[in-house]
Amino acid sequence: MIDDPEGQALFEAEARQLTESLEAGLLALRSATGDRALIDGVFRDLHTLKGTGGMFGHAALAAFLHDFETAFEAVRDGSLEVSGPLIELSLKAHDHVLSLLAGGSPEPGEQLLADLGALRRAGTAAAEGAAPRRIRIRFAPDTLSLGGVPGIVLDGLRELGATAIRPLIGDLPPPAALDPAELHIAWEAELPAGIGDAELAEVFLFHEEALEILADPAPGAAQPPAEETGAAPPSAAEAAAGPPRPRDGAMMRVSAERLDEMMDRVGELVIAEARLADLAARSGDPQLVAVAEEIQRLATGMRDTTMSIRMTPIASIIGRFRRLVHDLSQALGKEIELRVEGEETELDKTVIEMLADPIMHLMRNAADHGLESAEERRAMGKPGTGTITVRAQYSGAEVLISLIDDGRGLDAARIRARGIERGLIGPEEELAQGDLLKLILEPGFSTAAQVTELSGRGVGMDVVKRTIEQLRGSIEISSEPGHGAAIHLRLPLTLAIIDGLLVEVAGERYTIPLAAVEHIIELPAEKAEAGAAPQLLNIRGKLVPFLRLRQLFRSDGAAGPHQKVVVVMSGELRVGLTVDQIIGSSQTVIKQLSPLHATQKTFSGATILGDGTVALILDVPQLVAFGQAREEREAA
Amino acid sequence: MTGLSSSARPTADAAGGRDMVTFRLGGELLALPTGILREILEPVRTTRVPNAPDFAPGLINVRGAVVPLADLRVPLRMPRPPADEHTRIMVVELVLNEIPSVVGILAERVHEVTSIDDAALEDLPGVGTTWPPQFVIGIGRWQDSFVMLPDLDAIFSAHLAGESGAQPTSGKDCLP
Amino acid sequence: MQKTILVVDDSPSVRRMVSMTLKGAGFAVVEADDGRAALAAAERSLPDIIITDQNMPNLDGIGFIKAFRALPQSAGVPVIFLSTETEDAIKAQARAVGAIGWMTKPFNDEKLLSVVKRVAG
Repeated sequence: MIDDPEGQALFEAEARQLTESLEAGLLALRSATGDRALIDGVFRDLHTLKGTGGMFGHAALAAFLHDFETAFEAVRDGSLEVSGPLIELSLKAHDHVLSLLAGGSPEPGEQLLADLGALRRAGTAAAEGAAPRRIRIRFAPDTLSLGGVPGIVLDGLRELGATAIRPLIGDLPPPAALDPAELHIAWEAELPAGIGDAELAEVFLFHEEALEILADPAPGAAQPPAEETGAAPPSAAEAAAGPPRPRDGAMMRVSAERLDEMMDRVGELVIAEARLADLAARSGDPQLVAVAEEIQRLATGMRDTTMSIRMTPIASIIGRFRRLVHDLSQALGKEIELRVEGEETELDKTVIEMLADPIMHLMRNAADHGLESAEERRAMGKPGTGTITVRAQYSGAEVLISLIDDGRGLDAARIRARGIERGLIGPEEELAQGDLLKLILEPGFSTAAQVTELSGRGVGMDVVKRTIEQLRGSIEISSEPGHGAAIHLRLPLTLAIIDGLLVEVAGERYTIPLAAVEHIIELPAEKAEAGAAPQLLNIRGKLVPFLRLRQLFRSDGAAGPHQKVVVVMSGELRVGLTVDQIIGSSQTVIKQLSPLHATQKTFSGATILGDGTVALILDVPQLVAFGQAREEREAA
Repeated sequence: MTGLSSSARPTADAAGGRDMVTFRLGGELLALPTGILREILEPVRTTRVPNAPDFAPGLINVRGAVVPLADLRVPLRMPRPPADEHTRIMVVELVLNEIPSVVGILAERVHEVTSIDDAALEDLPGVGTTWPPQFVIGIGRWQDSFVMLPDLDAIFSAHLAGESGAQPTSGKDCLP
Repeated sequence: MQKTILVVDDSPSVRRMVSMTLKGAGFAVVEADDGRAALAAAERSLPDIIITDQNMPNLDGIGFIKAFRALPQSAGVPVIFLSTETEDAIKAQARAVGAIGWMTKPFNDEKLLSVVKRVAG
C-alpha cells in the first residue's frame, strides 16, 4: 500500500534479480536434488520476494508466494524430497510469478498451488506412513461471548481435509449447573497426514489453546495402511501426473431422476434445518445454537453442491437448434444463419429441458413469419441470408435468453386489429407497445387461416407463454419494423431453493427472493399515509414507484409508524414494496402453488417456515411490472 | 351428467354400497368417497392468500407439503358459520388441470365412514334446495337423513375455468 | 451483509492504513482515536468486530475492553488487541478482560486481512 514510484522501481529491479536467481536455483536442483545450499537459496529467494512483494502492494503475488514457499518449507525440513515433478511445477510457478509481476491474472496460480499442495501432501504422507492424526478441539467456555465462532475453526479444518468431525457432549454440566452462555461442546476430528503445524496454527488463530493432538505418530511408526486397503499412497510422481481435481476422465453419469430425488431430500433438509434454527434461537441455549449453526452451514453447502450438479450449460440444447435451422432453411427455401452467444451460460437442468420446445417454436415462427425471402431482403438492402440469434446471459439471479431475428419485425397495427377482432382487447383500449406485442402470446390469437405448415403445428405461442410462466419466468417482446424482432425470456437460475428475505405485513409473513432485493430503506414519514400521492420515492436521485403491500394484500388494520421499503429489481426496473417489518433472511425451498391459485400473479410460490407455517413468495418481476404500469398510468 | 370415470366419483364395492365419509357443511349432511381421502386433520394455522377467491382462501402445511384449503360452502351457496371445536380439514387427492393434487377441504364436523347404497341415490329435487344442481352428484340416505354427494370434479373444474363466481373484483391496487 | 469494524488507535497513520485495508476488502469501518470515543461509538452502534490499540490517551485498550464487556450487548463481538512484541504481560491481561486475541505490531495488510477474515468467518 505504499505509493512511492522510486521504491516501486527499486522493487522491480530487485524482483527481477530474485526471480532470475530462483530460476537458476531450480534448474541447478534438477541435477543435484539433495544440495542443501541450493534448497536454502531457493527458499531464501522466495521468502524475500514474498516479503517485498507484500510491502509494495502486490497482494496476489504475496499470497501466491506464501503458498509456494510453504511447499519449499517441506523440502527444507526434509519431509518432501526434490523430485522431477516438483522442479517442473516450481518452474511453472516461477513463470507465473513473472506474469504476476507484469500485472497478469492470478487465476492460473490456483491450479499450480493445488498441484503443489497435492505433491507435498503425497510426499509428506509417504514420509509419515500416511497415518492421519486425531485431534480434539475444546474451546474456552467463554469463547462465544468473546465473539469466537467455532464454526470458522471447523471450516478451516475441513479446508485442510479434516474428516470425521464430530461433536462431544460429554463435558456438558448437569442442567442445574448449565450456564447457557458458555460453550461446553468439544469436537474430535481426523486430520490427513502432511498438514504442517503452521497451517494448523493459522486455523486455530486466537484459539491455540483449544487444539489437542490425540494421536500424532512419529514418522514411520504407524502401520502403513496400504496392504490393508489395497490402495497404495500415491508416489510423488504419480501425484504430479494425476492432479487432485477431477478432470474429464473422472466424470460420472448420474440419472436425472436421482438428482431430482437428491434435490427433494436437500429441500427437506433445509426445511428441517430452518425448524431447528428457529427452535434453537427461541431456546437461547448457545450450545444448541452452535449445533444449529453447524447444521445450517452443512445444509447450505449441501444445497450449493447439489444445485451446482444440476446446472447445465445452454450448449446442451443448442445442437437441436442447429438442426432445426438447417431443416427450416430447406423447407422454406430461405438462407438462414444461426448465431449462438453465451452458450456456456448455465441453468438448472429442469429449466433447460423445459425451454427447448418453446425456443424451437419461437425459432420456427421467426424463420417462417419474421425472415423475408432472399429477394425481398436484397430489395430492402439487407443481406440475402437472414440471421437468427440465440443469446444467453446472466442478469442477477436470472438468466436472460433472447431470440433475435433480423427479419421484417412485428406489425403492431395488424396485431392490434387482430386483438380487437379476437376480443382480446377493446376497440378503444390503448396499450403500450410492449403489451400490444405480447398479445401474440395469448391463447386464441392465432387463427387457423394463418397457420402454416411449419409454425402451425405442435406448441403454439400460448404454450410458450405458459411454459415460461411455469418456470417462474417472464417474456418481453420488442420489434423494429423492417429490422427484426426480439423475444426476451427472463428465467430464474434455479427452481428449487433460493435465499429469501422474510418480511411481515399486517401480521402475515411473506418471502422476497433476496437476489432481487437491492436495498431496504425506512419509509419517509410524509409517505406513510396511504393515499398520499404521488406514490414515488426518491432513491439516490432516482424516482422509484412503490407499492403498499398492505393495500395490495387488502390487509386489516393500519400500518405502524416505522414501515420499511424493500426496493426490488427485475431487469433494469425497480419498485419499492412497503412492509411493516423485516424479519431476516433464510433459505427458502420453493413449493409451487396449486392450480387453484394459478391466477394469483402476485406470488410465485410458497415455502414452509421454521415454525411450520406457510409463507407466500412474492413474484418480483410481476410486482415490478405492475408498479411501473401504474406509474405510467398515473403519469398519463 | 357425464360418465363416472373420474377419480372423485365413488366406485362401487362388492356389496354394491360405496364407502363414504359423512361430514357437515352449512348445517347440511354431505359425503365424499373414502377412496380420495388421505387423512383428516384438526384445524392448523392457515396462511391467507391475499386476493384469492373465497373458495380457496388459504394454504396449509400438510406434512411438509403446501396444500390449498378449499371451502365447498362457497360454490354450494351455503351459509358459512365461523370455525369451532368440531371443525376439521379433510385432505383429499384430486386431479386439477391434469395435475395430481392434494387439497384440504373444510368440514364443520366429520361424522364417520359408512357404506352408502348406490342404488338408493336420487337426483336433486328441482325445488326446495339452493344448491347449484351441476355441483351435486345425487342424494343418498344415511341414518334416516338425506346426504348430499357433491361433485368435486365439477366444482373444481368450474373454479379452474374461472366460473365459480367467487373471483374477487379487480381493485385499483390489485394484480389481475 | 457488510460487516462493520471499529478501529481504535490514537495514531492517525495506523488508523488510516488499517481502515484502507479493511475497506478495500469490503468491510465498513468506524474509527475512534481513544478508548472513550470507541466506547461511545460502540454504544451508539454495535460493530461486528473491534480492533484496538493499547496505549491511548483518556482510556487505554485494556480499560476500553473492560468497559465494553460490561455492556450487555457486547457478548459475541470479537475484540482484537494490538500490541508490540515487548508487551507479553499485557496480552494475557487483554485476553483476561475479554479480547479474543491479539496481533503484534508491526503487521502488513496481508496479515491484518487474514486475521480479520479468520475472526469474521
